Amino acid sequence: MNGPVVHDAWTLPVDDNINSYAFSVDLNGQWFLQRGKMVAYYGQIDFQGVGLGHLDHLIAHSFHSPLHAAEWVVAEGRGKMVLADRAFDVNSYDLDDGNLSIRSGNLLAFQPSLSLKQSIVPGFLTLIGTGKFVAASNGPVVFMEPPIRVDPQALVGWADCPTPCHHYDHAYLRGFLGGIRAHTGIGGASGEEHQFEFVGAGTVLLQSTEEVVAEISVGETGGTGS
Amino acid sequence: MLAVDLTGDSVKAKNGAMVAYEGEMTFKKKTGGGEGLRGMVTRRLTGEQMAVMEVKGHGTCYFADRASEINLVSLNGEKLYVEVGNLLCTDSALRTGTSFTGLRGSSQGNGLFTTTVEGTGQAALVSLGTAVVLRVTPQTPLQVDPGAYIAHTGGLEQHFQAGVNFRALIGESGGESFQIRFEGDGLVYVQPSERNTIGGEV
Amino acid sequence: MAFKILTSRMVEAQVFPGQTLFSQRGAMLAYRGEVRFTPSITGGQRGVMGMIGRRVADEDTPLMTVEGQGTVMFGHGGHHVHVIDLAGDTLYVESDRLLAFDGSLRQGTMFMGSQGGVMGMVRGQVTGQGLFTTTLEGHGSAAVMAHGGVLELPIGPGRPVHVDPQAYVAHRGDVRNKLSTAIGWREMVGRGSGEAFQLELSGTGMVYVQASEEKL
Repeated sequence: MNGPVVHDAWTLPVDDNINSYAFSVDLNGQWFLQRGKMVAYYGQIDFQGVGLGHLDHLIAHSFHSPLHAAEWVVAEGRGKMVLADRAFDVNSYDLDDGNLSIRSGNLLAFQPSLSLKQSIVPGFLTLIGTGKFVAASNGPVVFMEPPIRVDPQALVGWADCPTPCHHYDHAYLRGFLGGIRAHTGIGGASGEEHQFEFVGAGTVLLQSTEEVVAEISVGETGGTGS
Repeated sequence: MLAVDLTGDSVKAKNGAMVAYEGEMTFKKKTGGGEGLRGMVTRRLTGEQMAVMEVKGHGTCYFADRASEINLVSLNGEKLYVEVGNLLCTDSALRTGTSFTGLRGSSQGNGLFTTTVEGTGQAALVSLGTAVVLRVTPQTPLQVDPGAYIAHTGGLEQHFQAGVNFRALIGESGGESFQIRFEGDGLVYVQPSERNTIGGEV
Repeated sequence: MAFKILTSRMVEAQVFPGQTLFSQRGAMLAYRGEVRFTPSITGGQRGVMGMIGRRVADEDTPLMTVEGQGTVMFGHGGHHVHVIDLAGDTLYVESDRLLAFDGSLRQGTMFMGSQGGVMGMVRGQVTGQGLFTTTLEGHGSAAVMAHGGVLELPIGPGRPVHVDPQAYVAHRGDVRNKLSTAIGWREMVGRGSGEAFQLELSGTGMVYVQASEEKL
């Protein structure tokens, strides 16, 4: 039989990819999961909603995003979990006493040794500490070093570098072609008048997408938080 | 994309799944996926719809389905149960039919019946992302998201679970609250996608 | 100048002073250096042949002129990207599939009735798209988008290739198009009303087919 590889409860990878689109977590303890990102599991695993009260201590340490509480659960027990997200590419990342900000819709799961906070940039979450997390992207992630300007839609996240700032192409907006567009409607916008600009040392993560991964807005509703 | 070389033989495929071919091909529409008249009647009753065509000739056919991944399954006499939308094409030697699957349909809205493929030969399944094949043994039952399930083989029993702690996975908006628990001996094909997941609508 | 493939869905291009790139609106993912993006009203080819510019006005696939000095990353909507290098020959491609291409390539438009126009006819009739097909000619590279991966099928004498119009991406070489409604194919492929056609390509060249029957 030349069919695909068959996995079972023992041969599933330990905290590694099964293929480009599926990731296997070897659970022995706790992990945070975004709802709906697990497609199958083996073993004895309990799932508790974040904010249901049983896990106060854990949440006090690791989860600081009240706006996202409804989207996350804690998986607790022993077993193997298969994570996936709409057939997007899935990868794990290890943080070693580091910090990484990521688009909220792209984050699938993380170890409780990491601490999750809301980024200052709306729509992004920041993970701080040491541990592993799993994230999805539309196509493989491309890693770039600053200085670089990025279409906000293409940004998956960034690590270590200073928080990005906005960059507007004023030459275009105020220029001759902009004027023609304003008067005639011909020509349209280039679609590239606004970017996030990254400077300093660090890594920027990119994907090819235009709003393909749904995101949950954070930081825009203001008062709901702590 | 799947390339099938034909030397006078034929394949059965989902309607509209061929994107290109070289050589001489003839196409014939099959009235149903099942076994003749009985299969047809079953189809009508069950609402499982799979428009099938038979492609015959000399040359190469290229099949694709919405940019999905294609997974080949070799059957040696056993029976494959597959969600109808996930079956792309089969050797014409394989028999297709329908089978009552119990409750799964009620949660997925796919109808209460699933497609079966039986015999010796190859079937091509489509999935959103390369499918993961998971073995179930009596010692290691498997829980699967109904939206991610595409097919299985072997002697497996399916149960619906709506476990208490599982409710934690249900979004506030409701939606799917089930998982399928497979017990016995067999293989389950799962796609890395959760359009309809335990967590509800994405 | 070629596009460097970063992933299946992302390419990178170098921009130097005096060289121009064209890209589809919104296709820039990121860039380094001093690079300007300007909507291209005339389609860049500031001549009578600049037919793409006319398409822009009524087809909503505007092009951008990319100039300056730096590195630009292109991609769009998570679609697969396929790079086609031209060495003096002509590429026939639907303009909405063009992600980016060298400014050194001469742009043109094929009308219905001549080569490439057949596609326009299919598209125009079936999907309500325009009646033009874009041509790119010369030495340089083009990055085209496809839903799913791209398959290159060579076309040779006595070896025609039949393609589902919805899966057709582009073709090059000395190729004749014929639109036909094969007996059988109509019922087979006809998922909707419009797919009752198949496209027969014969001659010498290459056709690019995407792994999906879904239009971009």
